[in-house]
Amino acid sequence: MPGVLVYVEQVDGEIAAVTRELLGKGKELAAALGGSLSAVVVGSGVGAVAQKAAAYGADTVYSVDDPRLSPYTTDGHVAAVKAAVAAAQPSLILAGASFQMRDFGAALAADLDAGLVVDAIDLKADGGAITAVRPSHGGNVINTYAFAAGRPVVALVRKQSFPEAQPGAAAGSVQALALDGAEIRTTVTSVAPKTGAVNLTDAAIIVTGGRGLGDKDNYYKLIPPLAEAFGGAYGASRAIVDAGWVPYEHQVGQTGKTVSPKLYVACGVSGAIQHLAGMRTSRNIVAINKDPEAPIFRVATFGLVGDVNEVLPLLTQELKSRLGR
Amino acid sequence: MHIVVCMKQVPRDNSVKINPDLSINADGIEKIINLFDEYAIEEGIIWNEKHGGKLTVLSMGTDEWVEQMRRALAMGATDSLLLKDPAFATLDTIAAAKVVAAAIRKLGDVDLILTGRNSTDDESGAFAPALARILGWPQLTYVGKVIDVNPGSKTITAERHLETVVETVTAPLPAVVSVIKDINNPRYPSLLKIKKVAKVEPPVWTAADLGVSGLVPTVTVTQRVPPPPRPSGETIDGPDAATKVKKLVDKLLENQII
Repeated sequence: MPGVLVYVEQVDGEIAAVTRELLGKGKELAAALGGSLSAVVVGSGVGAVAQKAAAYGADTVYSVDDPRLSPYTTDGHVAAVKAAVAAAQPSLILAGASFQMRDFGAALAADLDAGLVVDAIDLKADGGAITAVRPSHGGNVINTYAFAAGRPVVALVRKQSFPEAQPGAAAGSVQALALDGAEIRTTVTSVAPKTGAVNLTDAAIIVTGGRGLGDKDNYYKLIPPLAEAFGGAYGASRAIVDAGWVPYEHQVGQTGKTVSPKLYVACGVSGAIQHLAGMRTSRNIVAINKDPEAPIFRVATFGLVGDVNEVLPLLTQELKSRLGR
Repeated sequence: MHIVVCMKQVPRDNSVKINPDLSINADGIEKIINLFDEYAIEEGIIWNEKHGGKLTVLSMGTDEWVEQMRRALAMGATDSLLLKDPAFATLDTIAAAKVVAAAIRKLGDVDLILTGRNSTDDESGAFAPALARILGWPQLTYVGKVIDVNPGSKTITAERHLETVVETVTAPLPAVVSVIKDINNPRYPSLLKIKKVAKVEPPVWTAADLGVSGLVPTVTVTQRVPPPPRPSGETIDGPDAATKVKKLVDKLLENQII
């Protein structure tokens, strides 16, 4: 069947937002390929999630439910999905592009000798041929990929690329698959939440500080309170992470995180190309910098030339009074 | 034990151009060791110093790469190996992993492969998992801390630093490990060491040496374009900071951005 198979990611027993996007786009692509949409739910005690996936438009949901599949291991999840691939024979396999999905997707593609695209932001199927669009080089190059015929394609899709599928009444069938003879070589001894975790990639608003703030104390005096007033998370440029002001966890840019929030507020950030690589696809960018020639202003939706030491406390205060925070 | 670090040379920044034949043009941009691979080299040195044996830095590329490989040797790698062949120039990630896997098999005695979590130019992070699967070895990706490499029990225990969780995982050796930025502090090679390795020529293995042929890319690039320009921005003007701040918040509210 020239259809589409979606790997279902779960968050606390619910279907992850990125998976709902993939089920929506997958339905459209499956129709264009003349096949059906299937989904695979992998884990331990995942019956309820499989039922939910069936309500989001999958014609068949494969459920691979085995105690050995939680927590995640590459060996376990690749073996489970290969069982679903054998059953569905899809031409396209979709998953998200988180670190775990990159660990999984590239391994699956290598096993299947499949075509692979990571960080896809668009997918098309015309006359049986699949094409994918992905940025590389820090967003400075937008690539369109075509794939060799006769092999499946594994596409890891960047979140917020497609609208989410809505749950419907037409529920597909759930089919259980066994995890046959898979050897799981790695042992996960603990899975701990990151202390002080900042999931910058999920934040709708990010306030980032750079060298223009002068020193570490000033960063903490000005940036987290402003982020709080916006109801957002706070980030940092590479320069101040390398200077030891702020943990790496907060770094935005080529060697840090790639973010695409609704609003990105760059404070005292000059906007080196390595920084722009990590945030240029933000929907709105506010730049605050005392140097009117700073490159950050070239990508800004709103640019404010001024001294961060003067502007940021005023901005925090203004937001607090206007937003009632 | 024998540790191999796979390193790639990349442009220092990504202000690249696109050639008419759709290849990437990084002319005029300084070439450096992929930053994440530099952390892999340092991690290799740390465990090589502890357990002895060989630390080979391996790269697929052209003669242009040799200078960066010498830098890795000056940092503390004991051996180097360059995979060089015109046939390697246009490989996609999985095909490149097949070539490197052939080299690892030819080396024969490798216990651990370290590499960066991704290259800063292609950014896919697919190389380490693909290499592991092709070799049939377990993989630990996005490692932020190696807790132990145990040659006795032939295991590695490490922390994988994902977006919101830290996993502690043990894998049997041989294994493939990809590392993230905050795993260590890569050392600067001393001038003395830089001088010492200045004339080292890495051994070169070609496609024929590796017995790889007929590598078919599963992916081809059909179009490459620069990103669409951002709509031109608006400057928030005013006689003083307080006025500008008020105006900015007005704009954010008017446009329902906040």
